[in-house]
Amino acid sequence: MPDYTLISTPPLAGYDKIFGTTRLHAPADLAIVSIALPLGAEDAALKAVKSAYGAALPEPGRSTLTKEGARLVRLGSDQAFVIFTHATPDAERAVATRLKGTAYTTDQTDVWTGLEITGPDSRTVLERICPVDLHRDAFAEGDAARTVMEHLGALIVRTGEDTFLLLSASSSANSFLHAVETSIRNTS
Amino acid sequence: MIINHPLLGPRDAAEFIYLGDAALIDRPDWQAEDAMQQFHDYAYLRDNPAGPHRELWYHEQGDRSWLVVTRDTTTHEITDVQMARDVARSRGRDK
Amino acid sequence: MTQKNRISGGQIDRTRTVAFTFNGKRMAGHPGDTLASALLANGQRLVGRSFKYHRPRGILTAGSEEPNALVELRSGAQQEPNTRATTVELFDGLAANSQNHRGPLEFDLMALTDLMSPFLSAGFYYKTFMWPRAFWEKLYEPVIRASAGLGRLSMQDDPDSYDKGFIHCDLLVIGAGPAGLSAALAAGRAGARVVLADEDFTPGGRLNAETHAVDDMAGADWAAQAVAELAAMDNVRLMPRTTVYGAYDHGTYGALERCTDHLSDAGGKPRQVLWRIYSKRAVLAAGATERPIAFGNNDRPGIMLAGAVRTYANRFGVTPGQEVAVFTNNDDGWRTAADLLARGVAVPAVIDTRDAPAPIDLPGIRHVRNAAVMDTVGRKGLKSITLTDGQVIPADTLAVSGGWNPNVHLTCHQRGRPEWRDDLNAFVPGASLPAGMAVAGAANGALTLAAALAEGQAAANAQIEALGFTPAKTDAPRAEDEPSTCSAFWHVRESRKRAWLDQQNDVTVKDVKLSYREGFRSVEHLKRYTTLGMATDQGKTANIPALAIMAECTGKTIPETGTTIFRPPYTPIPLGALAGRARGTDFRPYRLTPSHNWATENGATFVEVGNWLRAQWFARPGEKGWRDSVDREVEMTRNSVGICDVTTLGKIDIQGRDAAEFLNKVYANGFAKLPVGKVRYGLMLREDGIAYDDGTTARMSENHFVMTTTTANAVLVFRRLEFARQCLWPNMDVHLISTTDGWAQFAVAGPNARNLLRKVVDESHDISNEAFPFMACSEITVCGGMPARLFRISFSGELAYEIAVPARYGNSMMDVLIEAGREFNATPYGTEALGVMRIEKGHAAGPELNGQTTAHNLGMGRMVSQKKECIGNVLSQRPDMIRDDAVKLVGVRPVNRAEPLTAGSHFVNRGETASTETDQGWMTSVAYSPSLGHSVGLGFIRRGDERMGEIVRAVNPLKGGETEVEIVSAHFIDPEGERLRA
Repeated sequence: MPDYTLISTPPLAGYDKIFGTTRLHAPADLAIVSIALPLGAEDAALKAVKSAYGAALPEPGRSTLTKEGARLVRLGSDQAFVIFTHATPDAERAVATRLKGTAYTTDQTDVWTGLEITGPDSRTVLERICPVDLHRDAFAEGDAARTVMEHLGALIVRTGEDTFLLLSASSSANSFLHAVETSIRNTS
Repeated sequence: MIINHPLLGPRDAAEFIYLGDAALIDRPDWQAEDAMQQFHDYAYLRDNPAGPHRELWYHEQGDRSWLVVTRDTTTHEITDVQMARDVARSRGRDK
Repeated sequence: MTQKNRISGGQIDRTRTVAFTFNGKRMAGHPGDTLASALLANGQRLVGRSFKYHRPRGILTAGSEEPNALVELRSGAQQEPNTRATTVELFDGLAANSQNHRGPLEFDLMALTDLMSPFLSAGFYYKTFMWPRAFWEKLYEPVIRASAGLGRLSMQDDPDSYDKGFIHCDLLVIGAGPAGLSAALAAGRAGARVVLADEDFTPGGRLNAETHAVDDMAGADWAAQAVAELAAMDNVRLMPRTTVYGAYDHGTYGALERCTDHLSDAGGKPRQVLWRIYSKRAVLAAGATERPIAFGNNDRPGIMLAGAVRTYANRFGVTPGQEVAVFTNNDDGWRTAADLLARGVAVPAVIDTRDAPAPIDLPGIRHVRNAAVMDTVGRKGLKSITLTDGQVIPADTLAVSGGWNPNVHLTCHQRGRPEWRDDLNAFVPGASLPAGMAVAGAANGALTLAAALAEGQAAANAQIEALGFTPAKTDAPRAEDEPSTCSAFWHVRESRKRAWLDQQNDVTVKDVKLSYREGFRSVEHLKRYTTLGMATDQGKTANIPALAIMAECTGKTIPETGTTIFRPPYTPIPLGALAGRARGTDFRPYRLTPSHNWATENGATFVEVGNWLRAQWFARPGEKGWRDSVDREVEMTRNSVGICDVTTLGKIDIQGRDAAEFLNKVYANGFAKLPVGKVRYGLMLREDGIAYDDGTTARMSENHFVMTTTTANAVLVFRRLEFARQCLWPNMDVHLISTTDGWAQFAVAGPNARNLLRKVVDESHDISNEAFPFMACSEITVCGGMPARLFRISFSGELAYEIAVPARYGNSMMDVLIEAGREFNATPYGTEALGVMRIEKGHAAGPELNGQTTAHNLGMGRMVSQKKECIGNVLSQRPDMIRDDAVKLVGVRPVNRAEPLTAGSHFVNRGETASTETDQGWMTSVAYSPSLGHSVGLGFIRRGDERMGEIVRAVNPLKGGETEVEIVSAHFIDPEGERLRA
C-alpha cells in the first residue's frame, strides 16, 4: 500500500440541478482523448478508428455515437475527440491501445469540464451565450462546433432532441457554469 | 463579419484572430545570398490595398485552422476563403 | 388631475387605470398609453426645459425622434435621465421628472440664459476659446460646465442587469408597420425563419396611428390580426420593444430589446438584451419621420408634428388641445384636421403654404391658402398663432406638417449615400445598400398605404426566393393610396423671431445662416459648428430642414449640399446594455489552478495573472506583512523544500514524425538532437529577431514532446506554432494540442526536494541523481500507480523538480506533497517567492522578455543557431542588433546594502547628468533577497557584461531619488549551478 492516496476532485463533480423544465448537470467520469491523424497516413488511422469503434470518423463539425456509447467528434481535418465514460486516469492509453499506433493520442480529460443541458428551453438558454445557430434544422443531432461563449472557448455537441453537451476549459469551469446558470435564470 | 469556413461553414469573425497579409506564407529562403534583405522585406513590408486583400485569419475559437481570406478592405466583402495549409502547399512550401 | 384631454377611441385599455407621477404630481392613464400620451391626456403640456436657452418645451412627436420631451425616469440608483416620454410605456407607479431646470419647471432660474441668446449663437463655445484668453479657465469653462447637460446621473451603480444574445434567421424584417407586417407575412407563410423587430410595444406602426382601412377593416385591427397570424407561426419570431440600431457586415444587425422597462418590477430579470442578429437577408421597413417647418417661436409647448397629433388622437384617444390649428406644406397635414374633426375636436384653421384647393374636402373648415405661420404667443403653452398676412388665430395647439423623411439610417451604416427625390422632397435609400438588405414602404419612399403594403410583400418575396423558398401566391393586403403631394417649403422667411430647427440642441435658422457667413458651409462643418443633429435624437426632425436652409444660402440644391453620414446606433443604447454581463467580478472569466481550494484553505492571497488567480503568498499567523511571508517562503525553499503550483505555464503536446525538426525551426537553439528523456531550455524569437518567449521542452518519446511556455504567452505561442505548422512547413507531420489545464504541475524545489519526492513517487522509478539527473524527464507513477510526469528543471536555482498529475488530482496532490514533506517543513510558496528566487538566480522573465530585447541583450546570443532554419535567426544578426556596445543583462546590488531598488530606474554613469543621451540602460526586476539580506536587481546596461564591479547610478526621475548600484553577475545565487545538479 502506498503511503499516500490521491483523490479525484474535478471542478464540477456531482453538479446536477433542475431549473423548471431545464436540467443542467456535469456528467460523471467523462473521459476525452484527442486523436490526430498522421500526415500521409490518414487512411490507416481512419481504418483503425472504424475497426476499433465500429463507426467511421465523421466529417468535421459532426459527431457519431458508437454502439458502446463513445462519441467520436471530428473537430477539424486532422483532429478528433473520443468522448466516453471512463473513471480511471488512463483514458489515453485505453484509446491508444485500440488504435494500435495508427494515430497520435493525447489525454484531454482534465483539460475540459463537461455540462449537459437538456429541456425544451435549452436553445432559449444557449442563445444568450452561444453564437452558433442551434435551430433544429441548422444544428442536427450529432452536430458539433467549437466556438466562444462568454469569452470562453467551448465545444458544443447536440446529443439529443433538446440536449446539448458543452465542454469548456476545466480551469475556468466555475465561470463557465456561472455563464450557463445565468442564462437559465435570465430566460426562465 | 462572417467568414465562410471551408470545412465548418459560416462562422462569426469573433471566433477568429486576424494576422494580416497572406504574403507571410511566402517566407524567404534562409540560405539565399540576400536572405537578410529578403527577410527584412518579409518582416516589415506589406501592401495595404484599398480593395481585395488576401489575408490570414486564425480560427482560434474553432478548429485552429489558418485561413486565407480574400476580403475587400473597402467593403468587407469576402470573395474567397481557403485553408492556408492548402495555399501554402500550392505555393511550393514543404517541410 | 383628471384626464381632461382624453377623447373617445384609441387602442388603450380603458377598463384599467394606471397611476403615475410627474414632478411628484399624481396623474392617471391607461394601459397602452405612453408617458407622453398620458401627460397630454392630463393636460400637462410643459414637460421640460431646453438644453441651451432653458426655453419651456412640450411634446413634439409621438416616437423615438422626440427632441424635447426628455425626462428622468424612476428614482434612486435606477434613475435614468434623458428618456423620451414618447417611447416610455406607461406602467403603474411610474415616476417621471422633468429635467434641466433650477427651481420648479414652471419657474426655471436658468431661463435667464434665453435673454443672453445673442451671445450663445452657433459656435459660441469655440469662440470662448479665442477671446479673452484668460476668461476660459476662470469664467467660461466653469459656467458652461455647470449649465451643460440635460438630465442627471444617479451617480450610483446601476442595480439592473443586462444580457446579450445571438439570433439567426433567414429574413430580418425591421419595422412592423404596414410594409414590415406585409413582408413578415409573406416570408412567414413561405416557411422562412423570420424575425420581425419593432421599437414600439404595439406592432403596427402608422396603422395604429391612422384611420385607413386594410382588407376592409380598420388598419389597427388588420395589424392586430396580422400579428396574431405571425405569432402562431413557429418560424416567426416577433420582437416588439426591440430597436434594430445598426447594420453591420454580412447581414449582422445589432438590436436592443427592452424587456422589463415597461414593468414596475423587473423580477430580477435583465432589463434589456443586446442582440446580435445574423440574417441571411433583411427587409428594412423602418417607416418615415415627419419633419417640422421652421417659423418664429415654433418651439412652444403645444406646437407638435401633425402626424403625432393624429397618433395621440387615433391611437391613444387623446387630443393635445381643445383648438388645434394645422399648418402644412403637403396633403398629409390635412388628415390631421380631418381626423380631429371626426372626433369632435375644434380645428380653427388649416394654413397651407400652397395656393391650391384642399386635398380633402372638410366642410366648413377655415382654409388659409398660400400662407404661413410667422410667430406664436404663449410662453408656457401656445395661445395663438400669427400668420404672414398678420391674422392672429387663437389656438392652444398647432399641428405642423413639413412632409415626411424616409428613415434611411440603416441603409447608410455601411457608407451608403441616400438619394434625393424631387417628387417627395426627401432623401430615399441610395443604390448602395448593405449586403442582403432590401428597403420597402415609407423607408423606401413609398409613403402611401397601398404602396407600402405591396412593396413589403414584394421585397420579402424577392429576398426569400433568392434563399430558395417559394413565395406564397397571395395578393398584397388591399388598401388605398391617400393623397400625398408635398411642396418644398422649409422655413417661413417672414419670421423675425428665432425659428428652431434642432430643438434638442437649440439650433435655429439664424445659427445655420451664421454658420454659412462664417464659412462653415459643408454639411459636416455645419453640424460641428452649430451642433445641429448632434444631440441624442441625432437630428431626426432637424437635419433636412437645416440642409435646405444651407442650400438656400449657398445657392446649391439639397442633393448637392448632401447629408452627414448616419452611424449606429439609430437610437441611444445604454452603456449597461453594451456591457451586458461583463460587470464587477463577471467582467471576465477566472481560471483557477488545480490547488486553488487548498490554497484558499491555507491562507493564500491571490493575484490575477491574465485570467488566472494564482497564490501570491501564504500568510502565516504572526506575519505582519507580505514581505514576512515571502521572505519565509524563500528561506524555507532554499533551506529545505518549497512547493509551488505552476500549472499556469502553457503546456503544448507536440507529436509527429517531424516533431523534432519542427521544434528545431521554432526555437532559436537546437532541438533536433534532444535525447528522449531529456528536457531543454528553449528560446523563441520573433521573425524580426527579438526574443519572444522561453520555456522548456521535454522529449517524452521519439515522436512526442511536451513544451512549456510562459503563462502570459501560452495562447500566443500556440497560435504561432499552428501558423508555422500550417503556413510555413505544411508538409510536416506535426500535431499540436494544448494540455495546460489537463495537468496539475508543481515545482518541488530545495535541497530536500528529492527526499520528499521519494515518498510520493512509486518505488519502481529511480529518481536518484545518477538515474534522473538535472534536465531529465520521465513518465512515472505516484501514490500507487497514478500516472504522472516528472521533469528535473529548476527556476529557483535549487535542486528542483516539476511533477505533474492529471488536474483532477491536483488539489489532492498539493495536500499529499505538504503531508509527505512535513518532516522537511515543506512550505507552499506563491508567485512572489517564485519571482524573488528567479531574480536571485538571474533567470529572465516578462520584464526582461519585454518585446524590445534580443538574445544578444539577454546574454544568450550564442544560443541562436546560424546553422539551421529557424524563426528569427536571420534578422537577429542585423548589425545593429549584435553591436558590441548593446545593453546586456546583468545583476545590480545597492552600494549601500540597506537601500531598496526601484524597477524602471535608468542607469547613468557617475558624474553625468541623467538624460536620454547619457542613458546607460534600465532596471527590469528588483526584489529583496532574503538569501543575501539586501535588495538585488536585474537590468540591461550598455556593455554590461564588461563592466562587472563598476558602480553606476540608478536614477528614477518618475518616483524621484537615485541609488548607487554595483554591476554584478545576474546569478546572485549559486553561479556555478551546483545546487541544481546536486
